[in-house]
Amino acid sequence: MRERPRTKQAAEPLQEPADEARNLAHKLGLDPYDVNYWVVDYDEMNELIAYNGFQERYPHWRWGMQYDRQQKQGQYTGGKAFEIVINDDPSHAFLQESNAVADQKAVITHVEAHSDFFAENRWYRMFADELDAAAMLERHARRIEEYMADSDIDREEVEQWIDSVLCLEDNIDQHEPFKRQYEQRGDDDEEIENDELAEKLDEMDLSEEVKRQVFDEEWMDEQADAAELDEPEMDVLAFLRDHGKAYDEETEKAEEMEEWQREVLEMLRAESYYFAAQKLTKVMNEGWAAYWESMMMGEEAFAGDDEFLSYADHQARVLNSPGLNPYQLGKELWEYIENTENRREVCRKLLRVEGVTWRNFHDTVDFERVQDLLAPDPRIDSIDPENLDELDDLAPEKVDGEALDAAKEGDIDIERYPWKVLTYRGLAERHFSLCKRQNRGFLRSVAQQDLEQFARYIVDDARFDSVEEAIADVDYATGWDKMRDVRASNNDVTFLDSYLTQEFVNDNQYFTYEFSQTTGDYRVASTDYEDVKKKLMLQFTNFGKPTIAVYDGNYNNRNELLLGHHYNGVMLDVEQAKRTLERVFDLWGRPVNLKTIVKEVDDRDAEIARRRDREPEPEEVGKLLRYDGEQFTMEDLPWSEVEDIAATEVDYDTKPVDWLA
Amino acid sequence: MGLREDLERYREVGEAKRQDLADFIQYGDLGQSLPDEINIPIKIVDLPEFAYDQRDEGGIGQGEPDVGDPVGEPQPQPGDGDEEGDPGDESGDHDYYEMDPEEFAEELDDELGLDLEPKGKEVIEEKEGDFTDMTRTGPDSTLDFERMFKEGLKRKLAMDFDPEFLKEVLRIDGWGPDKTFSWARENAINVSKHWLEEAYSQIPDDEKTEWSSIEEVEENVTRRSTAQKIKEEGISHVPFRKEDERYRYPEIIEEREKNVVVVNIRDVSGSMREKKRELVERTFTPLDWYLTGKYDNAEFVYIAHDAEAWEVERDEFFGIRSGGGTKISSAYELAAAILDERYPWTDWNRYVFAAGDSENSRNDTSENVIPMMEEIPANLHAYVETQPDGKAINATHAEEVQDYFGDSSEVAVSFVNSPEDVTDAIYEILSTEAES
Repeated sequence: MRERPRTKQAAEPLQEPADEARNLAHKLGLDPYDVNYWVVDYDEMNELIAYNGFQERYPHWRWGMQYDRQQKQGQYTGGKAFEIVINDDPSHAFLQESNAVADQKAVITHVEAHSDFFAENRWYRMFADELDAAAMLERHARRIEEYMADSDIDREEVEQWIDSVLCLEDNIDQHEPFKRQYEQRGDDDEEIENDELAEKLDEMDLSEEVKRQVFDEEWMDEQADAAELDEPEMDVLAFLRDHGKAYDEETEKAEEMEEWQREVLEMLRAESYYFAAQKLTKVMNEGWAAYWESMMMGEEAFAGDDEFLSYADHQARVLNSPGLNPYQLGKELWEYIENTENRREVCRKLLRVEGVTWRNFHDTVDFERVQDLLAPDPRIDSIDPENLDELDDLAPEKVDGEALDAAKEGDIDIERYPWKVLTYRGLAERHFSLCKRQNRGFLRSVAQQDLEQFARYIVDDARFDSVEEAIADVDYATGWDKMRDVRASNNDVTFLDSYLTQEFVNDNQYFTYEFSQTTGDYRVASTDYEDVKKKLMLQFTNFGKPTIAVYDGNYNNRNELLLGHHYNGVMLDVEQAKRTLERVFDLWGRPVNLKTIVKEVDDRDAEIARRRDREPEPEEVGKLLRYDGEQFTMEDLPWSEVEDIAATEVDYDTKPVDWLA
Repeated sequence: MGLREDLERYREVGEAKRQDLADFIQYGDLGQSLPDEINIPIKIVDLPEFAYDQRDEGGIGQGEPDVGDPVGEPQPQPGDGDEEGDPGDESGDHDYYEMDPEEFAEELDDELGLDLEPKGKEVIEEKEGDFTDMTRTGPDSTLDFERMFKEGLKRKLAMDFDPEFLKEVLRIDGWGPDKTFSWARENAINVSKHWLEEAYSQIPDDEKTEWSSIEEVEENVTRRSTAQKIKEEGISHVPFRKEDERYRYPEIIEEREKNVVVVNIRDVSGSMREKKRELVERTFTPLDWYLTGKYDNAEFVYIAHDAEAWEVERDEFFGIRSGGGTKISSAYELAAAILDERYPWTDWNRYVFAAGDSENSRNDTSENVIPMMEEIPANLHAYVETQPDGKAINATHAEEVQDYFGDSSEVAVSFVNSPEDVTDAIYEILSTEAES
């Protein structure tokens, strides 16, 4: 990262917390990228936030908007911006110099967890294995600035082009690895920077398992001439890059894109892919960071006693902001995963005790006693600096022998960093989730059907004679091990899909709401977990946006573009879709079409429903929206024409049948 | 640095994209604005994108409601707004273009083709070098620091009080914080109840009966005004506010201050249902902004009435509903008294705007209201009739007033039956005076 005069490396008092947070993170089983911490002032912080964490971005009014917003928000929140960390290797994190030390420590622990997530989650590998994001964005900024300064190119035209591309920034195929087609075609343009970039991207080691057929070069060649598609193309930006044209206002014709146009499009597409990983894992990533922050700051007392109150206040504020909060949802879900895994582990052990079966489990198991047996060894629970010798007798895998020796010599400040003498396993016991006060009823609340399932995998010869023996065999690290597996392979959609249960929805009181035509306002629709899950999935699938794909590049044999909206029961914002189509026209140069399905309620039905206090039943109708550069037309399509875009099973509508009755 | 430029571009883009002013007045969300800061939704803040229909999308909430319960406005969902310091996610559904009333008035002039020239009243400005044209942004060197300081000082003067004197008042036998508080309110001393309670608890019990009456206190204790206090002790702190920042265009100098007082009168009786109420708000609010923008100094009086009239604060004005009958003249009586006492015609431009559904007590219009409209000197009297559901037979106030005054340039009558009529009504009212 380019050094700026006013940006200085973490100041002295923060160096130790940063180092120790890193050590603690490792002890807890995390494996973050290295993190460079920078101390910046309030204004610089706002600037960084406006630029999504980076120091250099291409010129665009949108950053100005974010800056403006950030400043206004700052006026209400007292100007406390807490955390910026950017996904890069090494990661960079920014600390605001005016924040209290407790806040800085909280940020640091939070950042270490994010950095672990960046490094370990597979979706972050989709963009590139070797990451140098700051350099890429800076290169893009320089390039676009050059175009804007070029006297042959109208600055406003560049701005408008960027606007048009940004309208489609989410219309990429984010589930596939990013590949830069443009540079690979070997354009003659002598841009050293781009060659460098192309080289770098060529080196990308794409994982075979996710590499897709459609990106084969053969396929690309095939497509280059005839813009025909065997299956819908999700990467709309790539399709426009390869087959789109620019509309020339003067000649009123579609012209080949200028070099700069194609290049800008591709650069912005690359940025979309880069940011996609963060957008795909918002709940997981924020929850992960909040979970470990609270583990390190709260449970491991990383904040000094005097700092803890200020920290707790901050944590509460972040987690309790109104509305659906990804931090909160994520943290709750991670804790729930930890608890259920630990419970599974304990139940499995208990089911192996002579006389305990899944049928009689709740009646035979003395939960109070199990709870006592599970409690961490007192020597681990509270490390006593005066009696370090006590730790000698503990199982060796729980104690960090080297550190213990050093501590006995007085080389380690055990008062402040008691965790140093424990290993990962030792810490797992120390923080075993089922022993925490708020989780005490969790074991008992296990459902019988879960027990039945656990029991299936128990072989007869592995029995314990007593509950004591069974509990002694419990692997305290089960929850954490599982959490790391989950964080490695999931994104928000799979995360929610796999781990959200009725128990979770009940415990955390989630509900769905829908708009009622009859009452004219939003009403609570369901508290059923399947519904809550659906609604959440809707908000996190495809960045929470409708899926739009290219269906035809030569629609009706007239070189028109046909986009299709994968209708899943929730219709498009049609007005906004029109404005977006106008922008797509800029990138296609010829008429553009969008087929979609809308819900229509005729006035008579609405009136009848209102009188009966019911919700009218809308009719789903296929529509073709067309924009020819001047005007829109919208016509009905027969159902057979939209069958391929209509949802078959997934329907995100959660309205109950007798909703308002 | 690049971001400055981005910010400027954003302002330019925002200006081009904000909601058309007439649309905003007729249908926009007026509630996001303050009396001195008009927030006009920017039509397309961010770029368009393929998105779900917001209503059809529904959402997720947390809490323990029953199925079927209303949830109010949708709670913010991920991607709507953002947590602090959270990179990697561009977002934003709506934003506001901020306008000050001056800009609003100018724009409205353009939009409606108005040309209202505010009359200077004979009040010589005491400020040295005054500026008609100020903006909210500009180079630092043109920041009108003096104004900002004065505004801050005014605030301080308005908010500050003499704590020592109040502590003595609290020592009056039998007064205590409650009575002191109401006394302070009557005497326009801006002290909080909380402060008084705190101060009272500090006073030793035997001193709580030191004085027998307020007169005794006033005789024996010297009272210092804030001004005096500042003279004696100097100023330790003047609250600067961002909203007081103005940047000047120094070439224009003006000598007279143009004062205006606007009296807003509203019928709050039972027949004034929600729709009518909203139409009144839609008509009055832009008028208030416009006049605030046109004049150097604008003050507002809000009068609610049914069969009786009473003065209210702005926040309550549009929300009040009462049950009683209607007697419009009661409001004019109160208006006359207030204007007489606080806003002498020699020093103030006056506007008296009334609104209602034209229902009135028998003969009240001809016998009382019309004579008073003639008697109360004002730049303009106006009556706005709101009848969204068609007219009631006995609702004749507006017609009677119109018949009587005809094409007078001092009285305007307009009819607002739906939001579409609002801009016409505003034009009607403002152009009536402009003709004069």
